[in-house]
Amino acid sequence: MNEHHHEEPVEDSEIVSWKKKLIWSWIFTIPIAVLMLSERLFGFSILEMPYSSILILALGFPVVFIFGWDTIKGGVRGLVTFYFNMDSLIALGTMVAYLTGILAFTGIVADYSGVSAMIMAFFTTGKYVEALARGRASQEIRKLLELSAKNARVLRGNKEIEIPMDEVKVGDILVVKPGEKIPTDGVVIKGESSVDESMVTGESLPVDKIKGNNVIGATINQDGILYVKATKVGKDTFLAHIIELVEEAQGTKIPIQKLADKITSIFVPAILILATLTFLGWIFFSGDLSRSIGVGVAVLVIACPCALGLATPTALMVGSGMGAKRGILIRKGEAIQTMKEVKIIVFDKTGTITKGKPEVTDVKSLIPEKDLMVIAASLEKLSEHPIAKAIVNKTSVKTYKKVSAFKVLRGRGVEGKIGKDLIIIGNRTLMNERKINLGKLENSIEQFEEEGKTTMIVANNKKVIGAIAVADSLKDDSREAIRRLNSAGYKTVMITGDNERTAKAIARQVGISDVIANVLPEDKAKKVEELQRQGMVAFIGDGINDAPALKQSNVGIAMGTGTDIAIEAGDIVLARGSLIGVVQAINLSKATFAKIKQNLFWAFAYNVIAIPLAIAGVLHPVVAEIAMALSSVTVVTNANLLRNKKI
Amino acid sequence: MKKKLSIEGMHCASCATNIEKSLKKVSGVKEASVVLMLKKGTVECEDSVTDDEIKKAVARAGYKVTKIE
Repeated sequence: MNEHHHEEPVEDSEIVSWKKKLIWSWIFTIPIAVLMLSERLFGFSILEMPYSSILILALGFPVVFIFGWDTIKGGVRGLVTFYFNMDSLIALGTMVAYLTGILAFTGIVADYSGVSAMIMAFFTTGKYVEALARGRASQEIRKLLELSAKNARVLRGNKEIEIPMDEVKVGDILVVKPGEKIPTDGVVIKGESSVDESMVTGESLPVDKIKGNNVIGATINQDGILYVKATKVGKDTFLAHIIELVEEAQGTKIPIQKLADKITSIFVPAILILATLTFLGWIFFSGDLSRSIGVGVAVLVIACPCALGLATPTALMVGSGMGAKRGILIRKGEAIQTMKEVKIIVFDKTGTITKGKPEVTDVKSLIPEKDLMVIAASLEKLSEHPIAKAIVNKTSVKTYKKVSAFKVLRGRGVEGKIGKDLIIIGNRTLMNERKINLGKLENSIEQFEEEGKTTMIVANNKKVIGAIAVADSLKDDSREAIRRLNSAGYKTVMITGDNERTAKAIARQVGISDVIANVLPEDKAKKVEELQRQGMVAFIGDGINDAPALKQSNVGIAMGTGTDIAIEAGDIVLARGSLIGVVQAINLSKATFAKIKQNLFWAFAYNVIAIPLAIAGVLHPVVAEIAMALSSVTVVTNANLLRNKKI
Repeated sequence: MKKKLSIEGMHCASCATNIEKSLKKVSGVKEASVVLMLKKGTVECEDSVTDDEIKKAVARAGYKVTKIE
């Protein structure tokens, strides 16, 4: 299948390597600290000078130049090639400090060599904790990567054989026993079972699967044996798409991050200059070389671009991971910033608020009902529209009438000829257009519409012969979702091709006050544009017919069920068909963005306060290093706290 | 075309911006974005840009490309 699960979990090797360096660094640094502190705190030396200095230099050497070698190497290379990174600051800081230990023998400068080891030890510790926290930030995403199946049981002839996933081809018949993972996306060809899809769609209830149903790879078959024909493998699977989407989102830049990025990119050279100026300034004004070196080193090691650079991506990582777990896929990071400004939420009706599976509920016929239905079904059989399917399903005849000159009148109905008769089936708009009088059926049609039913009127040679009412029931939690959005102060709007009366009836049932009815599919984007004059608009649709409207809106949320998602269409994609997902997506976006802002604030505040303090010479270099390590750890840990937020 | 890179050796935020800067200097590269958290990057470039040029650009900044897709 995809190569992801062959890879080592992303952070592990990094964590292990920092941990090793950390332990060794402290083994050598603790004795240094004891030697230095005894002198400072108690006023006596364990060892006489210059033996104490020599011992500190000897103990400090491996800490800075062996365990810290990667940092020194990377930092020096950065200084030489002008690709400065934060290693450059640490490398310069520790090497200068170490050098003072040697120069100290000449008596011109105080000994900071112990400080160099302590800086490196704290730096390593900070990096280790930060790597741990970063690993935690990406845990959901890593779990997604590990979800995919490794093996599959394939039917070859009459034999079941187990093969590795990457040998499975489209068209293979897979046998999935109870409790097993469905290896890849496919369609059930035999067997019945319920399947737990929560890991990819966030849907907590198991989904029943029978012959003809689609199944998603990596979901768990619960109670029956399923024979599944593989329809997608490797990079084409639903899971692979989800992973790609989440990673892609991580790569998109959020507008608020831009300033932080700009600062990060010039941060290190700026600090190098600042540290030099500080050193020169101190020499000039105090004349104390030792003090000036100490202050300069403090400026070098206190400044850290990491807190600024990590503020946004870690919070985004935690947020998108939390979303992925619930079937909410944030495709564009920008959406979470825009979401905050959204005032109006526009819902498409069919398939979004309603189940999108209409059924015929009433038939009013002026000719024998069976004849009406056969005529209607003969035409509708040629259309792909859900309403057409409902009519065909209801009719269940074996032989249809021959239809010629068939035409789909988009958003209005269909027409065609049976024999010499011109049959038109469609909504009120179509009948008005063709100047067909509804006559005796007017009252019945009005009543259907009052009940929220979409009514298809059948006319034979421009004379109405019957009306078929089709209703699409609400999704179970649509009403609850709308209630929550209304009470959160959003203006909710429903947009539909249905006529005013039908649309209003549905809107009333679900709790939406504003309805835009009679909208042709291609005009939805225009309606969204009109609404945008009143405020930022989020559009919720199925992503198939609604792609232009999703694009036009400020935040497009595409929803689907299982594999039927138009992933490309939305800024946010909901894997589960429930409108509660919309509420969660909004909450999650807001919470994530708030966390990003908080992180950026702390990162800026830290640097704005700490750097001047270091320049002023108030901070000892070791204290400066501890503060620096804490700043990036705090930002990443704070991002992880996002998980406590109830979505 | 779009190339996806896996990059080794990054451990701080300025590492990522350094690689981006270096990649953008390659002629034919339109856009480069590197994500520290995923150790991955994407490069949007003209078809004429070779994998080797990309690898060299990343190496110039001091890091290693482990995979290009």
